[in-house]
Amino acid sequence: MKKATSLLLVLLITVSLCFSANADGGKVIYDGNAKEFIFEANSIYSPTDLFTGFKSVMPGDSLTEKISIKNDSSNEVKVKIYLRSLGADESSIDFLSKLTLQVKKSDDNEMAYMFDSSADKAAQLSEWICLGTLYSGGEVNIDVTLNVPVELDNNYQNKIGYIDWEFMIEEYPIEDTDPKPPQTGNNFNMVFWISASAFSLAMILILLFYKKKQQKDTQA
Amino acid sequence: MFGKIKLKISVIAIVSIILTFLSQSTLAYYSTIGKATNVVTSGNIQFIINDLTDTGAEFTEKGIYITPGDVVGKKVNIQSDCDHPFYLRVKIVYGVDSQELSADDCFKLNIDENNWILHDGWYYYREAVQPYETTPNVFSHVEIVGAAVDNKYLGKTLQLTVVAHAVQSENNPIEDNKAYTASGWPKEQEGA
Repeated sequence: MKKATSLLLVLLITVSLCFSANADGGKVIYDGNAKEFIFEANSIYSPTDLFTGFKSVMPGDSLTEKISIKNDSSNEVKVKIYLRSLGADESSIDFLSKLTLQVKKSDDNEMAYMFDSSADKAAQLSEWICLGTLYSGGEVNIDVTLNVPVELDNNYQNKIGYIDWEFMIEEYPIEDTDPKPPQTGNNFNMVFWISASAFSLAMILILLFYKKKQQKDTQA
Repeated sequence: MFGKIKLKISVIAIVSIILTFLSQSTLAYYSTIGKATNVVTSGNIQFIINDLTDTGAEFTEKGIYITPGDVVGKKVNIQSDCDHPFYLRVKIVYGVDSQELSADDCFKLNIDENNWILHDGWYYYREAVQPYETTPNVFSHVEIVGAAVDNKYLGKTLQLTVVAHAVQSENNPIEDNKAYTASGWPKEQEGA
């Protein structure tokens, strides 16, 4: 009994450590109606700060956080999401060059590291990297790992480093070959209603024109 | 005749407009870019050395007049002033008119050896100091050794200086729970 309790305790500690090792970071939402990105996490340093857990880091730290990117647009479109890094702010280069940053797709790990370099550089992310195609409500997660060398000395206490990232989407209409997206409740088909309105207007104009012509013929 | 042609042109134009609307749904796409400024900050290790009298007031920087055999209340402890735990060591340096003295020359301190472990001239706090924690006193009073402080010290200034070093305890394993085995202790010259 005692052995079983100890094993359970060890298991619980292991599980809790696994969870704490991969904290939730910021969230990026593409708002299809507003045609803009919403950054759900922020800090006192930046309103679009996705690195929520990379604060007050210490030598020897290796921190991982998950950033999720979600497509919140209607069922009629799918989006391709891309990511690229603009690198470090000039004032941060010295500090960030001492740290390393790794970025990879979460869960399935099908994608090798799309970024593995010192934190000040744009490296492999200097060009747009496609994170995937997302249908309405779809989400892709990326794991970002920051490694702080244990040799980092006192000169690097209280430093702040800024790293700019850009997200881009390309919005495409859903095609017949696409998998059927889940219903989100937004079924308003704007193109159909505009076309129908234009068609009705055209019919009215034709009728008016025809009626006027008939009147002219009668008078003649 | 012209009326019929006009009507045909109008119908064709309208159908073209409708087809244009419909074809938009398969050809057009939007592209949007959003920028995130991500921030990494580094932490620090900071502490305050408290030097207090028996009443809890700060010990005066000007010093006090003493006579041989006096026992002076002087409580020295260390207070963490940061978000990270650290190992700590302190050293007491004695002097007279800026000349270093040996420990036994003039002062006798009641070091709390339960909490402060002596190793190579430094007193190491027995465990990591947690964020914003205050340690127990390193010592609480100083005795001026009557037999040692003779006439040659008349009019002189005796000094007792407390030097403290800290090193992070995170990612810094120690052996046998001994803080002095931690990595990264500053060299003696750095602040000592």
